Amino acid sequence: MTDDAHRFTGMYDECRQRVWAYVVSRAGRQVADEVVSETFAIAWRRLDDVPEPALPWLLGVARNVLRDNVRAEVRREAVAAELRAWTEGDVADQVTERLGVLRALATLAEDDREILVLVAWHGLSPKEGARVVGCSSAAFRVRLHRARKRLKQAMEAKATLRPEASSLPHVRNLSEEWS
Amino acid sequence: MNPIDELRAARPAHLDDDRPVDPRTRAAELSCAMSIPRPAPRSAPRSARRRRGVARPAWGLGLAGAAAAVTAAAVVLSMNGTAPTPRPPVGSPANVPSTQKVTLSARDVLLAAAAKADRQPEGKGEYWHTVSVHRTLFTAAKGGYRVLDQRLDEGWTPSATGEDQKQWGRMQPLGARPASEEDRQAWERAGSPTAIEVTVPGKSRPMVLQTSPRRAMTGHSPLGDDDTVFWLGRNVTIKDLRELPTDPDGLKRRLLSWKGKDTDVPKSGDAWLFVVSKGLIMDMPVTPEVRGAAFRMLAELDDVQVIENVTDTQGRRGTAVAIKEPTQGNGVSENRLIFDEATGRALANENVVVQPGSFQAGLEPGTVWNSNALIEAGWTDAKP
Repeated sequence: MTDDAHRFTGMYDECRQRVWAYVVSRAGRQVADEVVSETFAIAWRRLDDVPEPALPWLLGVARNVLRDNVRAEVRREAVAAELRAWTEGDVADQVTERLGVLRALATLAEDDREILVLVAWHGLSPKEGARVVGCSSAAFRVRLHRARKRLKQAMEAKATLRPEASSLPHVRNLSEEWS
Repeated sequence: MNPIDELRAARPAHLDDDRPVDPRTRAAELSCAMSIPRPAPRSAPRSARRRRGVARPAWGLGLAGAAAAVTAAAVVLSMNGTAPTPRPPVGSPANVPSTQKVTLSARDVLLAAAAKADRQPEGKGEYWHTVSVHRTLFTAAKGGYRVLDQRLDEGWTPSATGEDQKQWGRMQPLGARPASEEDRQAWERAGSPTAIEVTVPGKSRPMVLQTSPRRAMTGHSPLGDDDTVFWLGRNVTIKDLRELPTDPDGLKRRLLSWKGKDTDVPKSGDAWLFVVSKGLIMDMPVTPEVRGAAFRMLAELDDVQVIENVTDTQGRRGTAVAIKEPTQGNGVSENRLIFDEATGRALANENVVVQPGSFQAGLEPGTVWNSNALIEAGWTDAKP
């Protein structure tokens, strides 16, 4: 195996599941495999552009692939279904607290959700997250701060939300109105 | 508790990063990605530690494992619906269909091309725009026929620099089709499948190619560190390209000074210069004089040959400057840059089997196993 193939395979093994998880959290499972496949095809063609660590770069590519190829309404619907699945307990060991957090996450706007998920689930630093979403680190910190605040508010408001509210995002402003 | 920590703890189990990838998914995704020959490396490390400089032949020789394996199927130069050219007898590496070696005049041909290249008009625009068609040949898993998989690639590189600038790329899979009339008949006998399983040597599962084109995918990325956008042994900026020496000796010295120290592909100076200048002539925004200097530099290399009367995959007649390169398993491949003698413009880059190596087993010498035809290269103000 050449150095390129070796490096690419290593990068794939290290990052594939993370890219997949990111895409699922942005657009649902249905399109995830295709977007992941396209993302790594791009990564192979542009291997010399891929920095170390590769993850933020890959997530940025996946984000572009999603934006350019999956229609916004399809994306919204898919992610709403995905969030519904998480919060309606398709996983047996769900505990109430986790459900509450996920339901609160479901009430947030897509932009807020993305920032929170990048930091909390993918472990990105603000600098790396900024690279993914295409803004400055400072702007990312501000957005993270606001998103965190809204998540907290949504978690506090959750008790009063009706169950079907978990299948948002169309009622996402509820929590803000109540805060 | 910090809401971020709570969120972290609430991550759904199926989004766990550490879960292994299904082996079949892994094999399919890796071979899908690496089945596309890599273009000449185009730069952009953001940090110094990230990149291992790799002088890489643009087409295929740098591919191995799953990647090189998929090149094992190919077809003789008989494209575009023309009558298939008879396959040359196995074991006569020099016998390439419809071509004629004229090594004696190689130098003169290249010097003439240099003079034409010098006089190419130089456009203006905000983006350097390239359009090319890539083709790779595969063998169907069943039915005994070969298919040609094609994709259209476009790139936009900004002439301006800075953090706000973006480079754009677009890729459209054009679908796979039987490689020749003979192959078409075999494909029809197999029931004219629209999803064709092709063998990927070294992989237990076939890869599936679609016959129909797919939607174009467009993406962009920021420029690299210090605005680097292309690769010429090291990452270079538009400014580096614009300031290349216009005399062949100076150009050669500059390019050699950029040759990465950690290059892991053993290449003679000539082979390396060929690979680098091929990219430079073909699709980089250098001045016409630099393109001329690159032809003059190639004219002085001992290992290059000139092959006249070559037809590229788009049916265009041209002349090739070529160099032989070793492949895995004692194979030899010929890397060709096809150009138009009348204008000194590049037409295509092709790789031809000379002596099948381990990954080209079963391929006849003379087989073009992948190609990249340049449709357009020039300045434009439009971006996607």
